[in-house]
Amino acid sequence: MKKYKADVIVTLKDGVRDPQGAAVDTVLKRTGMEDMAHVQTGKFFTLTVSGEDEATAKAKLNAICEDVLSNPVLERYTIERFVEA
Amino acid sequence: MNNDIKAGVIVFPGTNCDIDTFRACEYMGWQTEYIWHDETNLDKFDVIFLPGGFSYGDYIRAGRLAKFSPAVMALKGYVKAKRGFVVGICNGFQVLCETKLLPGVLANNTSMKFICEEVMLTTNHEGLPETVKFAIAHGEGRYIADDATLAEIKAKNMIFLQYNNNPNGSVMDIAGLFDRENGIIGMMPHPERGIFDETGNTDGRYFFEMLAHAIEKEKQLCKQ
Repeated sequence: MKKYKADVIVTLKDGVRDPQGAAVDTVLKRTGMEDMAHVQTGKFFTLTVSGEDEATAKAKLNAICEDVLSNPVLERYTIERFVEA
Repeated sequence: MNNDIKAGVIVFPGTNCDIDTFRACEYMGWQTEYIWHDETNLDKFDVIFLPGGFSYGDYIRAGRLAKFSPAVMALKGYVKAKRGFVVGICNGFQVLCETKLLPGVLANNTSMKFICEEVMLTTNHEGLPETVKFAIAHGEGRYIADDATLAEIKAKNMIFLQYNNNPNGSVMDIAGLFDRENGIIGMMPHPERGIFDETGNTDGRYFFEMLAHAIEKEKQLCKQ
């Protein structure tokens, strides 16, 4: 059994309004720090998954992302890191 | 008074509208019980409530983790067997959407504010006045669904409540859905907070009376 460290980022899909991001955008514009930031907020998860091999562990990680960490109706996830621990 | 109706109120860690919902059911004269979230047998109930609150701390997202609780797993079987009605209020509506028992999803209010006020709603069900005033109290009440889902919602006549002045950015002003085929109601407003004279609003009674009527009708059909 192998163990893998994974980092996952969950963000809203394109076209779904992100009020938190919009609020940060407003602040950046108001303070003159950045006019075109287009801030998007999201969530970050780091976890360990186990499996016989890389493919099995990756499949398990995808299932975790879809079933638990995100709601595919309005969110998408990206696996930022997937390395053997 | 319908004292042959058996109502259950599911309690998750973090639920906080369970007592209000329980009292509303008691007011109706129903035999009411709390159901702890690890319960796996729901067959004795004619109606099951998923009350408001913050189940499992709303961790990851509102309603997300409740979908893995034994009681909600059992609820899926309860719905499949068409045993009775399911009513999700506020966090309960979020749980029903996350569980896919109702279509769509609830996202952050566009204002990013937790809204706590009474709102006017247009109803779409026999036995209810055309408009009712219910309390809302939520941070994540913006109903979202894609176009195909919305078309299905319209085709199945599932819109149950619509905001007269949309407070949270919900698509099509949707405040509540009613899957009539499967007896599942989900709504952000809180009818259980409008039962007793002391609260200054008793419009919630309309909802519970409508529900009592629907349950009685269903029971009659089962007897035949």
